[in-house]
Amino acid sequence: MRTLRPFLLPALVAIGSLLVVSMAAAGTPADDSAGPSRVFEVSQATPTPEVPLETAPPLPTPIAHRGDATSTGCVDCHAKVDARQAGIADEWQASIHAREGVGCADCHGGDPTSDEITVGMAQAGGFQGVPDREDTVGLCGGCHASAERMRPYQVATDQYSKYFSSVHGQRLLVAKDDRVAICTDCHCSHGVKPASDPTAAVYPLNVPGLCASCHADASKMQPYGIPTDQFDLYELSIHGVQLLEEQDLRAPTCASCHGSHAAKPPRSDEVVDVCGSCHTATQALYEESAHSRLEGVGPKCWTCHGTHDVSEPNESLFLHEGGVPDYLCATCHSPTDQSLRLEMDRFEDPADRRCDTCHHTRSLIYSQVEAIAGAVGGARDAYDTALLRIDDAAALGMIVADADVAAQEAMTELIKARAAVHTTKLTTISALTDATVVKAGEAEALANAKLADSDFRRQAMVVVIALIALNVLVLISLRRRLHAQG
Amino acid sequence: MTTDVGRSEAPGGAVGWVETRLHLGPFLNALLHVPIPRNAKTFYLGGITLFLFGIQVVTGTLLALYYSPTPDAAYESVLSITSDVSFGWLIRSVHHWAANLMILFLALHVLRIFVQAAYKYPRELTWLVGGGLLLITIGFGFTGYLLPWDQRAYWATVVGTEIAGGVPVIGPALLLLLRGGAEVSEATLGRFFGIHVLVLPLLLAGLLGLHLLFVHQQGLANPKYPEPRPGRPAPARPPERLKPFFPDYILDEVIAWYAVLAALVILASLFPAGLEPKADPLVTPEHIKPEWYFLAVYQLLKVVPETVGVVAPVALVLVIVVLPLFDRGEEVLPRRRPIAIACAVLLLVALAVLTFYGAQV
Repeated sequence: MRTLRPFLLPALVAIGSLLVVSMAAAGTPADDSAGPSRVFEVSQATPTPEVPLETAPPLPTPIAHRGDATSTGCVDCHAKVDARQAGIADEWQASIHAREGVGCADCHGGDPTSDEITVGMAQAGGFQGVPDREDTVGLCGGCHASAERMRPYQVATDQYSKYFSSVHGQRLLVAKDDRVAICTDCHCSHGVKPASDPTAAVYPLNVPGLCASCHADASKMQPYGIPTDQFDLYELSIHGVQLLEEQDLRAPTCASCHGSHAAKPPRSDEVVDVCGSCHTATQALYEESAHSRLEGVGPKCWTCHGTHDVSEPNESLFLHEGGVPDYLCATCHSPTDQSLRLEMDRFEDPADRRCDTCHHTRSLIYSQVEAIAGAVGGARDAYDTALLRIDDAAALGMIVADADVAAQEAMTELIKARAAVHTTKLTTISALTDATVVKAGEAEALANAKLADSDFRRQAMVVVIALIALNVLVLISLRRRLHAQG
Repeated sequence: MTTDVGRSEAPGGAVGWVETRLHLGPFLNALLHVPIPRNAKTFYLGGITLFLFGIQVVTGTLLALYYSPTPDAAYESVLSITSDVSFGWLIRSVHHWAANLMILFLALHVLRIFVQAAYKYPRELTWLVGGGLLLITIGFGFTGYLLPWDQRAYWATVVGTEIAGGVPVIGPALLLLLRGGAEVSEATLGRFFGIHVLVLPLLLAGLLGLHLLFVHQQGLANPKYPEPRPGRPAPARPPERLKPFFPDYILDEVIAWYAVLAALVILASLFPAGLEPKADPLVTPEHIKPEWYFLAVYQLLKVVPETVGVVAPVALVLVIVVLPLFDRGEEVLPRRRPIAIACAVLLLVALAVLTFYGAQV
């Protein structure tokens, strides 16, 4: 006993630690009441929760059974039970699983080669019935996380580990909260379709509606205290309009920013990279800016453009029209130490997303903002004027192809100038706005030439009509003389 | 005032020089000095159509000097004609508007002949040849429409040839023949250009010669009295009052031509022929509409099965062309031909309604 004493205390500590860890992993009631509510409670003031990650549990072994997907024992009976069961059988038969040889027994166990209920659904024969929600993820992962199994289909095998890194997976794993989305909520249980199938719920055009089916449901979101207006905002955003109305598959869905299997709100310091995954050039320009140099505390994409309600950017984002409202210092600064503190909830209202919300009129940078706004606004005005002249010429039936080309070149420069605003560098922006004005001027000159040509045509028309009228008068007089002669 | 080139003593100068060598006097006399009924009301519609064809020949020839009939160059050549070539815009716009007016005046000419029953004995063949001229003119419109090779041209031809492909039995072969392949392509443009500038003009010139020859031989119809038929007693009628074709009628015709020329100048100046973006087989425009004279068929195809929509217009044109063969009544006054006039009114109303709805977006 004396020889064991030196090891006793460390051993007790170790056993205690193991117990704590295993209780946390198992999601004891104590954990459920304290940990998750503290960790997962999401409010608008803290939109990017830091979730303590528990790694994914070990993958279960796929269910062993007799027969394969061509064994029709299950479908033969279940399709005749009632309309619901027949519908399930139909869904499965139309699914990618049916096509690729994944049958009932792969998820439910049992013996699909038998038509006898006492054999096919015998627990002794391995029948497991409907898997519960916690087990379902592992059941799917049993195949989908297997590189060997998925190799023929060239699909990713990281969904399982990604899922358990998501807010959904973490709640399921740590808090044993089985109300969160699991594989079958998005991919269906029996009617599993590939994401490339336009009728699949996970087809990009259908993803916002799929996420909204839970996240826009106040009763479902109430326990988590998270807002439910994301879909409404997204639907009206430029992203939503482009995806849902224009059916443009390049537009981002919820999953493009939050991830699909690894679904989680991007953290403040991740936002620039998330937006930059599509807006690559804009990200590069932003990273040249004074804003970027402020790093964590500096304004991010959402400060000016919002999150779910991103609208088409224009010159109105620079300055408030009709004067700047009286913003509190706390809008941008910490009330305690006056340090910069730009938080998402302070810019929820699109009307607040202006440069002069932070750069107040007495600040040194305000004049630079004014100069940038003036340069970009002037370039846009020059472009708009050129377009008006081109429209005038086109309305007169003139062919304006060359003026259109010049206007397109002006628009290219204007787009570059607008993008360069992210650098916050006046000289860079001015060079591009100057180029816009030059190109727009060329377009306007070409359109003016068309208008002048149209004027000439009308004047020439009057002369020609007068000559024709003169000829007709001569002919009429000739006719009268003929009639007079009888 | 008139120049009687058939007199025994040849005039002096250049005319006399030619006359002493070619002796054209009797020929020209026979051609020009024909009496016509004083109450013949042609409204100069046939002559105006002929004038417009002349305009098309002249402007079409000028356009052909600059036009390149290949998908790579057609659009650019039309753009160049319209933007760079001196008065190219005018030539192209006049060609564009004259084509439309030619269809319009041809339709009015047909209507005038129908209402005055001028297709009846002895002018059945003139009407039949006129039917051929009508089809050729529509063929001009259809083939010429593709030549600018812009989006409207390309897709209207895609739709138009598909309609032709809907003809029962021969449809697929007809589609292949028109397109020169499965799609509207370089082969289609090549054959449409060839047909537009060579085949149809020769056909039209030949049939037009025949048409004018028939008109010359038969003279203009009297809209009040039917022609006496051989072997039957001529009905009593007052003596026909005549007037000389030349110069009286020709003078009025030329005044009408001047009026049409003025209309062409105004249309070409105020509404010059446009050009849409270059044809792109991969981008289908939102709204594809044919020219106004095909809108009725286009609309019909929307409301009836394809076979009916294709067969009905073809059958209608055939019925119109062979009309004199089954409408053998002697009456020429519209009030005494109520069924024929009612059918025509019904047809015109149907065409107007279909065209109106076809023009809606």
